Amino acid sequence: MNTDALSSAIASQLVMLFAALMLVLQLLLVAQQMLLVAVRLYALQSLMLTAIAGVVAYYYNAPHVYIVAVLTLAGKVVFLPWLLNRIVRDIKIHKEVEPLLNAATSTLICLGLAVLGFIVARPFTTLERLGSNTLAIAVTLLLTGFFLMFNRRKAITQVLALLTVENGIMLAAIALTSYGMPLVVEIGIFFDVLVAVMVLGILVYRIRESFDSVDTAKLTRLKG
Amino acid sequence: MNLNLPAFLLQTALLLLLSPLVTGCIRNWKAKLQNRRGPRVWQPYFDLAKCLRKDRVISEHASWIFSAAPCVLFFSSLLAGLMTPLVTTSPPLSLFGDALAVVGLLALGRFFLALGGLDPASAFGGMGSSREMSIAAVAEPALMLSIFTVAIGAGSTDLGRIVTVAQGPGWQLLAPAHLMAFAALFVVLLAETGRIPVDNPATHLELTMIHEAMLLEYSGRDLALMEWGASVKQLVLMAILSNIFVPIGLATGHSISDLALGLAVFVAKILLLSAGVVLVETVNAKLRLFRVPDLLSAAFVLATLALFSTFLFGIK
Repeated sequence: MNTDALSSAIASQLVMLFAALMLVLQLLLVAQQMLLVAVRLYALQSLMLTAIAGVVAYYYNAPHVYIVAVLTLAGKVVFLPWLLNRIVRDIKIHKEVEPLLNAATSTLICLGLAVLGFIVARPFTTLERLGSNTLAIAVTLLLTGFFLMFNRRKAITQVLALLTVENGIMLAAIALTSYGMPLVVEIGIFFDVLVAVMVLGILVYRIRESFDSVDTAKLTRLKG
Repeated sequence: MNLNLPAFLLQTALLLLLSPLVTGCIRNWKAKLQNRRGPRVWQPYFDLAKCLRKDRVISEHASWIFSAAPCVLFFSSLLAGLMTPLVTTSPPLSLFGDALAVVGLLALGRFFLALGGLDPASAFGGMGSSREMSIAAVAEPALMLSIFTVAIGAGSTDLGRIVTVAQGPGWQLLAPAHLMAFAALFVVLLAETGRIPVDNPATHLELTMIHEAMLLEYSGRDLALMEWGASVKQLVLMAILSNIFVPIGLATGHSISDLALGLAVFVAKILLLSAGVVLVETVNAKLRLFRVPDLLSAAFVLATLALFSTFLFGIK
């Protein structure tokens, strides 16, 4: 086996490994009720995404993917978790009281979603290319992210769910397109998310101020 | 391929002699980590010897099942161990059964263990049996699915064959499917051997015990057989976990040096795995009984995902 084929095999194994870890972290997130731990899991998941971006950038020797990796590291591993941590500490709610479905049921539902994602992505995974198999995991992250969003009542967890959906999209963008998307698009998505989370953060404060709770189920009546 | 008598005897001896040592090591190391001196490593041998010498007391309400259960548990664990590759890639009884037979034998042992708990009609025994069975109902599918994950890669459910293929080239140790299956099997190991997130092996507190609750009525040599059988079962599960996923150093031939090397590596792997179990036991608190299905369903989900990713990522 020549060195080129070898490095390709190692690179694709690494990408697969990190993508699978992202999926596992997502499932842990679905089962997790403590908000601070959930934020930490999200940070870890983003770290895996950074690692994938790093591997892809190194393999294709693509400088702009390095930029994406650095942005992901700075934004999603360090800044956003720090911001969410601060919000959780400020509103002093550390635990999701009761998700609509309990942990065992929701992990099983997510298993079903994962299987669905795997089946949907199956026809596209025969391509002999780096990381083409990660489409299944990207789709699964998307589906389970949406599930997480409507399974939880707290606004913070819903923000986290949105972020994991975005992680899934980024995973598809980095690993699936051969050099990642154009830098402009990547940066666009990145700042979109950044601003969205900051706005949502402020919204969480506001919800708490006017309703004494961050339970979104209570947002059914208008308050004068 | 016929029955190889020396191999049969050697593996039986290894299973019987090594398993109390593993139990003793886990107890001793756990105590050390908690700043206690702890019992000596070979204390379980003395315990077994003492129990074997003692008379037994049997409740007058107990039927023949009560006395039969320890034997069934002991011999089913031993048979399962003889079908599992420990030191060599060809276990002595591999002709008689594959991974499914091993899982089935372990299930048979558990069935009789639960019956033995129910039989004397003590409240605690029944409670332990019901808990054991409800945990097993989730743990067993996870065990099967993780073994199937590697079996698909090897193209056979024969454990010896799986290990042989795993030693060959083209086996991806770090494939996501294998990692997930390993994690799932580790959780199953904790659940099946009654380790801390699921059951506390050191407690006799009524509300929390599972395995101990079923053994409460046993004494004398019945208790010895029960304890011995449980530690053999623990060794078998550990051997499956370590040899399938880390198939390093298994002897392929039957020369003395091969076997010695295989034995040394095997003991090292088992002790390393025990150290992992000790660490998990020390840093985790016992889960509330109603949270245990969450943990086990996570293991089940991991194992299922592992199985699906073998198709997706195409190991081999």
